[in-house]
Amino acid sequence: MLRELVNSISDPIFSFPLCTFGFYMMLKHYKIVGTKKFAYWTTAGMLPIIAWFLADTNFFSIIKTPDNIPIIILLLAVVFFTWFSIHKAAINDTRIENGECPIEGTEENREKIWCWPNLVYIELFAIIACTAFLIVWAIVFKAPLEEPANPTWAPNPAKAPWYFLGLQEMLVYFDPWMAGVVLPLIIVAGLIAIPYLDTNPKGNGYYTFLERKMAISLFLYGWLVLWIFLIIVGVFLRGPNWTFYGPFEFWDLHKVVSSFNVNLSELVWVKGLGIGMPKNLIVREIFGIVACLGYIMLLPPWIAKATKKGKEIYENIGFIRYNILMFMFLMMMSLPIKMILRWLLSLKYIVALPEWELNL
Amino acid sequence: MSEKHEPGMAYSMPKLNKIMAFLSFILLATTIWVFLDDYIRPWKAIQIEALKIQRHHTELEIEAAQKEIDEPKLQEFKKSLLTGEEIVTSRNSEIAKVEKELSKVRASLKDQTIKNGFFNADSTALNFQYESAEGHGRELEAKEKLKALQKLKAEFDLGKNNFKSLQEKEKEILGRLADLNKEVITIQKEIKNVTGKLELLQAAKKQTDMDPIFALRNMPFLDFLDPTIKIQQIVLKDVTDDRYFRQIDKVDRCITCHVFIDKPGYEKENNPFRTHPKLDLMVGMSSKHPMKQVGCTVCHGGEGHRVNDFVTVAHTPNNEKQEKEWVAKYGWKEAHHIAQPMFKLSQTEAGCVKCHSGVELIPGATVLNEGRLAIVKNGCYACHKIEGWEGKRKPGPSLLKIASKVDKEWFKSWVWSPRSINAHSKMPSFFGQSNNSIPEFTKLNLTEVNAIAEYVWEKSKPYQPNEKFHPGNAVNGKKLIGEIGCLACHGVEGLEEQSKKIGGFAGPYLSGIGSKVKPDWLVSWLKKPWHYQEDTIMPSMRLTDSEASDIATYLLSLKNPKVEGLKFAEFDKTLRDYLLADYLSAFDTIEMAREKVSKMDDHFKTMDLGKRSIGKYGCYSCHNIEGFDGIPPIGTELTKEGSKPITQFFFGLQHQVPLKRDAWITAHLQNPRRWDIGIDKAFRDKLRMPNFYLSESEATKITTAILGQVADVVPMSGVKRYTAGEAIYNDGMKVVNKFNCVGCHQVDGMRGDILRGYEDDINLAPPRLVKEGQRVQPNWMYHFLGNVVPIRPTLTIRMPSFNLSLSDKNRIIAGFQQGANQGTYEEPAIEVTWLPGEKDQAVKLFNAYACTSCHTIGFNKNTPMAPDLHKASARLRPSWIRLWLHDPQKILPGTTMPTFFTEDGKGIEAGFFDGDAERQINALTKYVIELGGVGLK
Repeated sequence: MLRELVNSISDPIFSFPLCTFGFYMMLKHYKIVGTKKFAYWTTAGMLPIIAWFLADTNFFSIIKTPDNIPIIILLLAVVFFTWFSIHKAAINDTRIENGECPIEGTEENREKIWCWPNLVYIELFAIIACTAFLIVWAIVFKAPLEEPANPTWAPNPAKAPWYFLGLQEMLVYFDPWMAGVVLPLIIVAGLIAIPYLDTNPKGNGYYTFLERKMAISLFLYGWLVLWIFLIIVGVFLRGPNWTFYGPFEFWDLHKVVSSFNVNLSELVWVKGLGIGMPKNLIVREIFGIVACLGYIMLLPPWIAKATKKGKEIYENIGFIRYNILMFMFLMMMSLPIKMILRWLLSLKYIVALPEWELNL
Repeated sequence: MSEKHEPGMAYSMPKLNKIMAFLSFILLATTIWVFLDDYIRPWKAIQIEALKIQRHHTELEIEAAQKEIDEPKLQEFKKSLLTGEEIVTSRNSEIAKVEKELSKVRASLKDQTIKNGFFNADSTALNFQYESAEGHGRELEAKEKLKALQKLKAEFDLGKNNFKSLQEKEKEILGRLADLNKEVITIQKEIKNVTGKLELLQAAKKQTDMDPIFALRNMPFLDFLDPTIKIQQIVLKDVTDDRYFRQIDKVDRCITCHVFIDKPGYEKENNPFRTHPKLDLMVGMSSKHPMKQVGCTVCHGGEGHRVNDFVTVAHTPNNEKQEKEWVAKYGWKEAHHIAQPMFKLSQTEAGCVKCHSGVELIPGATVLNEGRLAIVKNGCYACHKIEGWEGKRKPGPSLLKIASKVDKEWFKSWVWSPRSINAHSKMPSFFGQSNNSIPEFTKLNLTEVNAIAEYVWEKSKPYQPNEKFHPGNAVNGKKLIGEIGCLACHGVEGLEEQSKKIGGFAGPYLSGIGSKVKPDWLVSWLKKPWHYQEDTIMPSMRLTDSEASDIATYLLSLKNPKVEGLKFAEFDKTLRDYLLADYLSAFDTIEMAREKVSKMDDHFKTMDLGKRSIGKYGCYSCHNIEGFDGIPPIGTELTKEGSKPITQFFFGLQHQVPLKRDAWITAHLQNPRRWDIGIDKAFRDKLRMPNFYLSESEATKITTAILGQVADVVPMSGVKRYTAGEAIYNDGMKVVNKFNCVGCHQVDGMRGDILRGYEDDINLAPPRLVKEGQRVQPNWMYHFLGNVVPIRPTLTIRMPSFNLSLSDKNRIIAGFQQGANQGTYEEPAIEVTWLPGEKDQAVKLFNAYACTSCHTIGFNKNTPMAPDLHKASARLRPSWIRLWLHDPQKILPGTTMPTFFTEDGKGIEAGFFDGDAERQINALTKYVIELGGVGLK
C-alpha cells in the first residue's frame, strides 16, 4: 500500500512540484536546515526509510547495477555539499546580521600557513586514498561490459551516460532539436556568462546566502531541481521504453502507459474555437508564436518596469546584462512551464511547425 | 592590513606522517590485491585438477606397462650387458685412441665450417661488387673484381670439398667406434625394446610434476613468460562469429577447461574432464569433424571465446534437475543477452543444420532426423517457408475435383473436426479450439466452414471415374492390403497392429472410407490414381479387376457411424453477411460495409466469404484449390526461427511456459492457440495455426529441428560442400523421399519403414537398396521404373508403378549412380568369351553349387525361391554379380543367398578351377551373363 503510494508520488507529475516546494522550503528555512542538529535528525530519520527502500528487491536491483553505484555516490556528495554550504552560510549570515564579519574573515582565519606540508601533503593523501578506493572498486564491481552491440537487438531502455540523463529526460517534453541542441547550448552559454552578469561583489571568499539570495536561489533551482532531479528520474525511474516506473516497480518490458498529446494550435482551433485548422502555417500557429514571442520579448521589459525587484536589478546591472539574464532565466523556466503544460493539457508543442523543423 | 606574520603550521607533522604511512600501506595492499585478483582464475584450478587426473591415469598406465615387462628376460639382458661391458673395457686404450682421433676430425670440421662461412659471405659480396661495377660501366674495376671473385670461388670450392672429406672421415671413425662398443650397444637396444614404453610413460609422468620449475613458470608476475597453466584455444578460419559490424574468426576456448575432450581414455571422468563421446564422428583427429577445424561452439552454441567463469560462457542445463544442480554448484543463471546460448544437450543436433543444408536426413543425427520426418509427416513446411524445403509436394490431397470424390456434408464435418472422424487424421483441427469455442465464435466458424464448402464445390471440376464398382471379397481385400504393401504409406483400420508397427504416413490413415468416398471413385483411384489427380504420389499396384474390387469392398465396408447421415449446421446467411461486413470494415465504416454487402447478390456473398475464409485459414497452403495459384503460404517463415530474439515471441498469459525459445516452440506445437487464452481479442484477430495434437516427444523433436534454423552466416568454406556426385545423390533422394520409396526400401541404411513388419523374415520384405547404382544397369532401371516387372518370386509385396515424370526417373537413376560412385555406364557384356574348357567346368560348378535349387525358373519345375537368372544379365552389372557372389552377407545381411567362398580366396567346391575363388566367380559370372542371352538386348 505504502509502496504503491511511493510509486505513484515518484511520478514527475507529483514529484516535480514536490521537489520544487521542498527546494523553496529549504531556502526559506535555510537557517534551520543549516544546523547540525537538523542534519543529524534528518539523517537519523532517513536511515530506516532507506533501509525500507533497500529491502525491496526491485529497488535494490536498480541500485546495485554497477553503472548506478557511482551515481549514488555522487548524489550523496551533492546532498552533503549542498547542506555544508547552507550550514556555513547560515552561521555567517547570523554573524552578519549581528554586525560581525564572516567566520572566514576573523583574525585567526586570516593567518598564513606553509603550503608544504599543510596543503600539498594533504593533497597527496587525497590522491593515494582515491587511487586505493578506485582500485578496490574496480575489483569488487567488475566493469559492466556487455555483448558486442547488435543494431537489431538494442538494449531497452537505451540510456545516455548518466550525466546526460537530464537532457534525455527533457526529450520527453521538447523536440529533440530543442532538448538536444538548443537548450544544452544555452545552458553552457549561461554558465559561461554568470561571472559577467553577476556584479554583486559580496560573498567573495566566504559562505553567505543573505547577501546573494537571488543569485544562489536561481542557480540552485536550475542545478538541483532542473538538473539533478531529472538525472535521478532518468537513472532510477525510467525503465524500458523510457516509461516511468516507481522505485518499487518491476521493470516489466511490456508496460504501456496511456499517452497522447496535442499541439496548442489544435487545442485552440479545434477544441476551443470549434473550427478546422487554417491552411496557412503562420495563421495556424499564430497563438503559439505570439505566446513565445511575448514570453521572450515582452516579459523582461514588463518585469523591469512593473516589479520592484525587477526595477532594482535593472538599475544594478544595466540594460544588456539585464536582458541577457532575463533571456537565460526565461529559457530555464521554459522547462518547468512546458512540463506543467504537458501534465495539465497534454500539450505537445506550443508552436508546431514540423514543416520547418521548428517545434517549441 | 594587519602586520606581517611568519607563516605557521596548521597540522602536526608526526601525525601527518602516520596518516601517510597508513595510506601507503593501504595502497600496497590494494596493489597486491589487483595482481591476485588478476591471477586467480577459475580455469586455472581446473587445469591443475586436470593435471592431477592426467598424472593418475599415467600412473595406472605405468603400472600396466610394468606388468607387461618380461622380468627374467630383462635380467638376462642385464647380465649379458655386464659381460659385454667387460669386453669393451678391455679395449679401453684402443677406444681412447679412436675417440681422440674423432675429436681432432671434429675440430677440423668445425674449423672448415667457419672458413666456408666466410668464403660464402665474401664471395656473394664480391659478386655484387663485380656485377654492380660491370652494370655501371666501370670496366676496369669489374675486371679486377671478377678476377678476385674467381679466385675466391676456387678457394671456396676447395673448402667445400675438404668439408665433405672430413665428414666422410668422421663417419668412418664413428663406425670403428661402434664396432669397438658393439657388445654393449646391441644389448642396450634389446633392453630399450623391453622398457621403451615404460620410459616414455615415465617421461610423460615427469611432465605432470608440480616441481619448483612448474611453480616458477606459473608464478604471479612471471607467468607471462612461459606458463604451463594457460588458456588454450582453437581459432577457426572457416567459421565466423557475427559481431554485427563484421564477421570475426570464431575462437573457441572451451578446451581450456575441457582438457581431455579429444583424448580417449577419460570417458569415465566427470565433466569438464570427460572425453567427447563418439570420437570417431566428432572432435577426434581422424573424424569428419576434427576439433581443430570445427571447434566446439559451431555445433553446441554458446560463447566459446569466454573463459571468465561457468556462467558467462552460456552453458545451458539439459533439464530442470541439472539446472538446480548448477545453480547450487556454480551459481548458474541465464547468460545475459546472448544471441545463441549453448544448445541443451538433448538439442545439440540442431547445430548440424547450419552447415549441412540441402540434405533431408543427416546420417547419425537421430533426434534431428526424427524431428525433420515429423515436419514432413505433419506438413509444417507447407504453411511455413523453410529455406531448402521448397518445392516439396503439398501435404494434403488436391481439392480441384473433390465434388466427385466425397459428399459435401461429409466434407463440412471433416473440415470442422477431422480428428473426431478419423483419430489418426493428419489434417489438423482449426475449430473447437481453446480460443474459439465460445458459442458466439462457434456459430461464426460454422458459417465460415459452410462458405468454404460452397466455394470448393463451386470450383470443383467435373470428374468421371473410369471404373465401375462391383462388390468383391472383403476378406481377400483385407488380406491383399496387408500383403501387397499398402501399409508402407497408409495405416488401415482392421490392420491396426501392423499399421502401428510400420507407421506409414505418406498417405492418409484409411478408416471410415465407406462413409467417405464414392464407390466408383474408389475403384478408379485404386487402379489408376493419376486419372483423378495427375500429380499424386499414390502409385498403381497393378491390381487386377477382381483384386481392385476386393480391396474396394473391404475399404467400403469400413463405415463410420459418426458421420453416417450426419447433417452439418445450416448455412446462416445473416452471420455470413455479418462476417463479410466485418472484412470490408477494415477500409470502410461498418455502415458503409453493411451497405456494400447488402448490394451484393446472394451467390457472390457466399463465394466471397468462402474464398476469404480459405485465405484466412490457409487451406490452400496444403491443398490445391482453384483461385489460389501462386499465393505464398500463410505461416511465418521458419528459416531463421532458431535465431529469433526471445523478445519477439509472444508468451501471452502462459506463465507456466519458461521464457525460452525452445520452450515456446514446444508449447506452441502442442497447442498453438494457447497464447490467446485470457487475451482480449476480436474474432478476426484470433490465432489461426491449427492444432496437430502433437505428443510432447514429437514436439520436442520438431523443436530441435526448428532450433537448428539459425541465422548464422557460415562462410562457404565452412559449410559442408557436396561434391557434384553427392549433390546429385541428395537430389535423387529427394525424389525417392517424395514418392516415399523409403516407405518400403531401406536406402543405404535409411528408413525402410515397412521392414518393421518383416522382423521374422527380412527376405520377404522389399529388397534393401545398398549402393543400388552399383548393382543395376541404369538402362534397366529406367525401363523398370516405367514398367515394373516382378523380380523376386517369393515376395507377396509388390513394387508399385508410379506415375513418374521423365525428370523424376532421371533424378532417381542419376542419384543412385552417384551414390554408389558409379559415374558412367558399365559396358554390358556383348559377348562372353570362354577360355578352353572353362564353360564346361562353369556349368559343372553351377550345378555343384546347386544354384538351381532356388533359382529354379527355366531350369526345373520346383517353386522358385530366387530371381530368374535368365534375366540377371539385363538387370545387374557384371562387376556387381562378382561382388555379390563373393560375399552376399556383406551386401545384404540376412539374405538367403549362401556364401560359397572362404575368406582366404578358396571356393567350397575345391574340385573346380583348382578351388580358386576368383576364377570360379569369374566363370559363374560369365555363365549367368550368357544365360541372359549375352549382353543387353
